[in-house]
Amino acid sequence: MTELQDLARKLLEDGTVAVVIGWEEGRRGPRPVSITEPDDTERLVFNARCVHNLATYLDPRRSQVRKLGKPAIVVKGCDTKAVAGLLREAQFKREDVVLIGMHCGGVVTDPAEQTEVTAETVAPRCAGCDVREPHRTDYVLGEARVEPPQNTSIDERVAALDAMTADERFEYWATQMEKCVRCYACRQACPLCVCDVCVADKTVPQWIERAPHARGNMSWHLVRAMHLAGRCVGCGECERACPMDIPLTLLNRKMQQVVAESFEYHVSDDPEVVSPIGAFRDDDHEDFIL
Amino acid sequence: MSDTIACPAETQAAHLYEPHLVTITQIVDETPDTRTLRLQFKNPEIAQSFSFHAGQFGEYSMFGWGESTFCIASPPTREGYIECSFKAAGKVTTALREANVGDTIGFRGPYGNWFPVDEWVGKDIVFIAGGIGLAPVRCVIWNVLDRRDEFGAVTIVYGARSVADLVYKRELEEWAARGDVKLVTTVDPGGETPEWTGNIGYVTPVVEKTAPSADNAVAVICGPPIVIKLTLPALDRLGFSDEVIYTTLENRMKCGVGKCGRCNVGRVYVCKDGPVFTAAQLKALPGEY
Amino acid sequence: MSAYAFITAEKLAELVADLMESGTRVIAPITTAEGRATYSAIEDLSEATFNQGLPMPSLKGHFLPPNEALLSWRQRGGDIELKPASTQFAPQLVLGARPCDVEALQVVDAVMNWDYHDDLWNGRRAASTIFAMTCAGVDDSCFCTAVGSAPDSARGADALLTELPGGYLIEFTSEKGEAFLGEHGRYFDTASDEAVAAADSLRAETRTRIEQNLVVDTARIGRWIDGHFDDDFWPTLGPRCNGCGACASVCPTCHCFDINDEQTGVGTGVRRRNWDSCQAKKFTVHASGHNPRGDQDARYRQRIAHKFYIYPSKFGDVLCTGCGRCVRACPSNQDLVEILQTIDGLAAVEEGGAA
Repeated sequence: MTELQDLARKLLEDGTVAVVIGWEEGRRGPRPVSITEPDDTERLVFNARCVHNLATYLDPRRSQVRKLGKPAIVVKGCDTKAVAGLLREAQFKREDVVLIGMHCGGVVTDPAEQTEVTAETVAPRCAGCDVREPHRTDYVLGEARVEPPQNTSIDERVAALDAMTADERFEYWATQMEKCVRCYACRQACPLCVCDVCVADKTVPQWIERAPHARGNMSWHLVRAMHLAGRCVGCGECERACPMDIPLTLLNRKMQQVVAESFEYHVSDDPEVVSPIGAFRDDDHEDFIL
Repeated sequence: MSDTIACPAETQAAHLYEPHLVTITQIVDETPDTRTLRLQFKNPEIAQSFSFHAGQFGEYSMFGWGESTFCIASPPTREGYIECSFKAAGKVTTALREANVGDTIGFRGPYGNWFPVDEWVGKDIVFIAGGIGLAPVRCVIWNVLDRRDEFGAVTIVYGARSVADLVYKRELEEWAARGDVKLVTTVDPGGETPEWTGNIGYVTPVVEKTAPSADNAVAVICGPPIVIKLTLPALDRLGFSDEVIYTTLENRMKCGVGKCGRCNVGRVYVCKDGPVFTAAQLKALPGEY
Repeated sequence: MSAYAFITAEKLAELVADLMESGTRVIAPITTAEGRATYSAIEDLSEATFNQGLPMPSLKGHFLPPNEALLSWRQRGGDIELKPASTQFAPQLVLGARPCDVEALQVVDAVMNWDYHDDLWNGRRAASTIFAMTCAGVDDSCFCTAVGSAPDSARGADALLTELPGGYLIEFTSEKGEAFLGEHGRYFDTASDEAVAAADSLRAETRTRIEQNLVVDTARIGRWIDGHFDDDFWPTLGPRCNGCGACASVCPTCHCFDINDEQTGVGTGVRRRNWDSCQAKKFTVHASGHNPRGDQDARYRQRIAHKFYIYPSKFGDVLCTGCGRCVRACPSNQDLVEILQTIDGLAAVEEGGAA
């Protein structure tokens, strides 16, 4: 840990960055912190309870973060996919941020209750983790960790939904959507939900009904899932953030599968790899166009 | 000093959020983007009983688009109708601009406190307005002019970005023609036309040049934040104390009746504790407006 | 004035069945098939799961629904026909609600009747009989005792139940509650002194346990917020905040709302009021684009200030009953327990009192 704290101190002291965004211990597990004073770097921690995808703090629209100055940010391997996504979409320049990568052995599902990664506690997002090690960060710290136990629950749940009839599936989602209260915790926690004006907030014209009833909620979540197709990095922050426990990652995971099948595309941690939504190819499939 | 001007609760409709239906009886295009609607209550009983004070506001509904908050721009001394002036900026105002004479819209109100016009009897009054900020001020001006004998000298300083942006042009002519009102108009440099005979320059220096006496006088000021910010010190230099300078605040509102929780500036709710404040009250508030 | 009685679990089930038979809707904490605790209408008392998991969101949705119709309209030529929502509601019994949720209703009553009466809120309040249940506490994010409430508070309730072996001690705490006892006396037994003593000791034990979590002086906190609008403390909270409404949605006292129109057909539509949150960027933005609360530092300060300075300065009560839901729901672990502790500490230093 001192390795992370020492680096953060050095970066702040030599003026490389003005703020280090990482984790500090809170009462209910580690939580995001913005450190601007070198002496406060002692608060930084990194462990299996550091679940948040801190890339979400890089959205340049977060003026309360941006006004702190140039950031360094602590990222797990998987989080770098979100950073790459933001770079791919020109949200900021690579040189505008210092990336401190951490070796990761997986994270727990509920950091308020769990401390160690086991087959029971491992976060669903660690399933099939393809970027466990950070590759394009400025630093890589910590010791290489063993691969976490596999948690295949997401794919099993998607498969179970796929096995349903269309009516059953609709019924399942209609019930889930009834729970939504439109707090937009999903959107706000999502590192890739960075639109200047979200379609849900647009009123001229108004595309999506504002009321949290099943119809309005369904259009909100489906539009969001579509807009994240090929962009969602599968971090699961939307579902973790949802106070109503709506299994939002199932929508995004399904879209990931569709994008993989249709475009042979897997969300990359390399910002140079173009995403299907951001590029036109003559040989693009058209069969999904109704 | 109380931190707000008293605002007794008005009688309410049967259902707090149920608007009265009103008919658009007249449309006046004030500027290329500002429009005034004259509205008459459909229910004759409401038309008969409706009353309000200068400075109060309402929630105007365009059914299918929603409600928007504007002051009542006509004076309480003109009975039988109310008027509102608005710029097409958001969803509701854009839709409202499409409405025609004869169409039905909704109105909830009057809400909020008001300019204490009765306390000004016997005093000189200086009105200062910028742009569409003349709407709430116009309501007080007509209120005062309709009771002209009760007040001392009346001075109106009104400025806009350009001649095209001046609202209530016919009324400006009317005020200019009256012998009992001193009207000074001004447009920002570059906003004048060849025919323009008024001042050219910003509102603040025009106020200083006009130099109304602060003795036994009150000032009413309304306009863009920059006009208020620059003109308050000018009024101070002219000898107006903060207690006799009145303005009205605008913040985003939904309910208009103190429930929906978004218009507050510190502990003060613009809808219930305002929208009319003295400069002294304004200065005690945090800058969240 | 309060009256004690005892009701066995069997009798309570019968009472609930009879009430439902006569058209009363019964709301109770349940555990969904997914394992989530929530307040829901029940068909049978066996569905109720008292004191098992903290219901999410709070009880408030049964009084201020996440969305509710205010009126509907139909256009006929140039004319509009309005149909306002009814302010008459079928009777409902809320059974076994957490005291923090019940007290919140009474706290919010003040703003809902601030000169103008919110007929929809009041209609649901009038149609409801509320039996709170002594809370066993959830975890160390419970802090009702620090904000003037208690796990056995009957404030806002018509009766308070305390679960004991074989049944419930019930204390009727309002006229409505006593009238209920008068009407349904056949289900209730006289409370034994032992039952009252057992409930008292259980209540005292829970209070003591929750008091360990947080002790602050809310009046001092309010004074500090009043005097420190521009304090450096606020920008330490803003950057962490995601700007979502998870906290407000689960909060029993957050009552801010939006009003939106929905077109349901050509010339027909519904005007609804929907939950809203001061943490949303859109909440305060003017039509001009100007936003008086332009970043999360300002928006998070508003949340805390509204609860602990603005609301008490207008209505007396703090706008918080210490349920801790915001702490548990925040995806970024913003921690109101810690925030109150910090502000109280700053206020203590400034006012020279005990920290």
